[in-house]
Amino acid sequence: MVRAKVVIRNLTGLHLRPAGILCNKAILYKSRVQFRTDHTTANAKSVLSVLGACVKCGDEIEFICEGEDEQEALDSMIKVVEDGLGE
Amino acid sequence: MFKGTNASAGIGIGKAAVIKEVEMVIRPDKVASVEAEVQRFRGALADTVAQTTVLRDDLATKVGEKEAEIMNGHLMLLADPMLTSGIEDAIKKDSVCSEYAIETTCTTYADMFAAMDDELMQQRATDMRDIKTRMQQTLQGIKPVDIASLPEGSIIVAKDLTPSMTAGINPANVTGIVTELGGKTSHSAILARALEIPAVVAVSGVLDKVQDGDSMVVDGSEGVVIVNPTGEETAEYSARREAFLKEKKDLERFIGQPTVTKDGVHIELVANIGNPDDVAKVLQYDGEGVGLFRTEFLFMDRTSMPTEEEQFEAYKKVAVGLAGKPVIIRTLDIGGDKEIPYMGLAKDENPFLGYRAIRLCLDRKEDIYRPQLRALLRASAFGGIKIMIPMVTCLDEIREAKALIEEIKAELDRQGIAYNKDIQVGIMVETAAASLMADVFAKEVDFFSIGTNDLTQYTMSVDRGNEKISYLYSTFNPAVLRSIRHVISCAREAGIMVGMCGEAASDPMMIPLLLAFGLNEFSMSASAILRSRKMITGYSSQELQAVADKAMSFTTAKEVEAYMKEFISQ
Repeated sequence: MVRAKVVIRNLTGLHLRPAGILCNKAILYKSRVQFRTDHTTANAKSVLSVLGACVKCGDEIEFICEGEDEQEALDSMIKVVEDGLGE
Repeated sequence: MFKGTNASAGIGIGKAAVIKEVEMVIRPDKVASVEAEVQRFRGALADTVAQTTVLRDDLATKVGEKEAEIMNGHLMLLADPMLTSGIEDAIKKDSVCSEYAIETTCTTYADMFAAMDDELMQQRATDMRDIKTRMQQTLQGIKPVDIASLPEGSIIVAKDLTPSMTAGINPANVTGIVTELGGKTSHSAILARALEIPAVVAVSGVLDKVQDGDSMVVDGSEGVVIVNPTGEETAEYSARREAFLKEKKDLERFIGQPTVTKDGVHIELVANIGNPDDVAKVLQYDGEGVGLFRTEFLFMDRTSMPTEEEQFEAYKKVAVGLAGKPVIIRTLDIGGDKEIPYMGLAKDENPFLGYRAIRLCLDRKEDIYRPQLRALLRASAFGGIKIMIPMVTCLDEIREAKALIEEIKAELDRQGIAYNKDIQVGIMVETAAASLMADVFAKEVDFFSIGTNDLTQYTMSVDRGNEKISYLYSTFNPAVLRSIRHVISCAREAGIMVGMCGEAASDPMMIPLLLAFGLNEFSMSASAILRSRKMITGYSSQELQAVADKAMSFTTAKEVEAYMKEFISQ
């Protein structure tokens, strides 16, 4: 299991569009991809779960990946967030 | 007559097309074969996805990619493993029909969104209910309401318009939209504005009072709906409709035109914005830049201070969006009247005379001001950013803020970070002290922007929120006008730019006076720009001198207002 933290920079937080981009990236990997916020844990492969976490601009989230391609998945998730999730 | 929220400007006159969804009775019916039921659900899901894809493509070609985005959202939700496995699990667990499993699963998520403390998230509840209904309709073989084939001159009346319904609207046939639910930012309101269809939302009880085919008037500018109007009312609104369309067409001519008075004085006509998303509106109405970008939004409704990085991104976004046009960004203007728990501000006895704006920022350089100024300087490498300091009352504040900016510049130089070395630093002139000292301050800063709302408040010693003393709150009060004229003449003498970003800058009665005084820049809400450009280009500032002299000879606000009203009506 690997984990890393990243801060959400999107002005509107993890809303539908950025959440969709996040999920589309997560489903490319075989590993389980989750992230933790202060109050909950979300499944990064489910847009509903991501939206449900109600992540706002400036919030820090911690990705936790577990599985055969976990490191690759983690690096990719951090990058997609840092690239601004399409914004 | 009904009152509602004005969601999309304009006037529509036509026949009511009442949209009633077919009531579906959803019961927990047992199924014989769970496996067969799961297959039935999967089939309906695939059909719903296919329908949604068609709607998405329709919307993209008819309205635009941005509006089609909502349907992409639905496709994402329909593809969500948590949703589909949730529904399938519900079928398996209780051996219930797909309709019921969909009902319970989708409602759980819709309720979750509705309970969130965030308007954008709450709108996802509408999306969730929309896809729920569509999956259920597909299962029951019910055709969705066919909005696309409504006859010409239809006024849609509905409880709420689901995104999939609005996707079918043909602007050639629909002349108005009325809903019982919704708000200015709900999906139907946004789409109505994009399609330029007059709309009034949040009209409670309207469905009970309207029959299909009733005559209707929808005034989307004022938020008024009339069912079965009298001949007189119809005539009145027809005339207003003509006037609205004429004005709109008339104003469109001013897009792309320079803002120059008849005697050749160039005016900068710019917009006030509150967040980076407003840039689209500025460009739509052909604003020549931004005269006031309020940065408070970055600090509100959150639990911790925005980072320098976050602020940098927001400022950069606006600078890039305006492609080199001037962007005046006001540093944090906040005080004890705002609840921002993480800032730890004590309740101020007199928040508007207290610890706020530049006073607060200079006291909290390390955690508030330095990160904001650093973000502004870094963003200045990407466009025409200027820094504006609010609520200045004495020279020390200006010097201290400027010294801090110089300090940060040196730091950026050492770190090799790009910024605009010639960035302009100006002040809001909104206190009586700043106005009286304008000749001195003008030598220390690169520009002035007069904030008339606060200048009126501080000059007249009047709380603008207190209705009992509202008679004092007028920018036309001779004391305020003298102050404005003085500030403008001090700026011109020192050769610096002087603008105005208060409401007075777009007031048709004030514009002639400001032109005569020699104001260089007018900043206002984006939607007022074209109307103001039309006015300004119709005047000669030379000829207005006599009007201003006359206006300044009066001794009460009432007299000035009466005179200016008379002047502009000519």
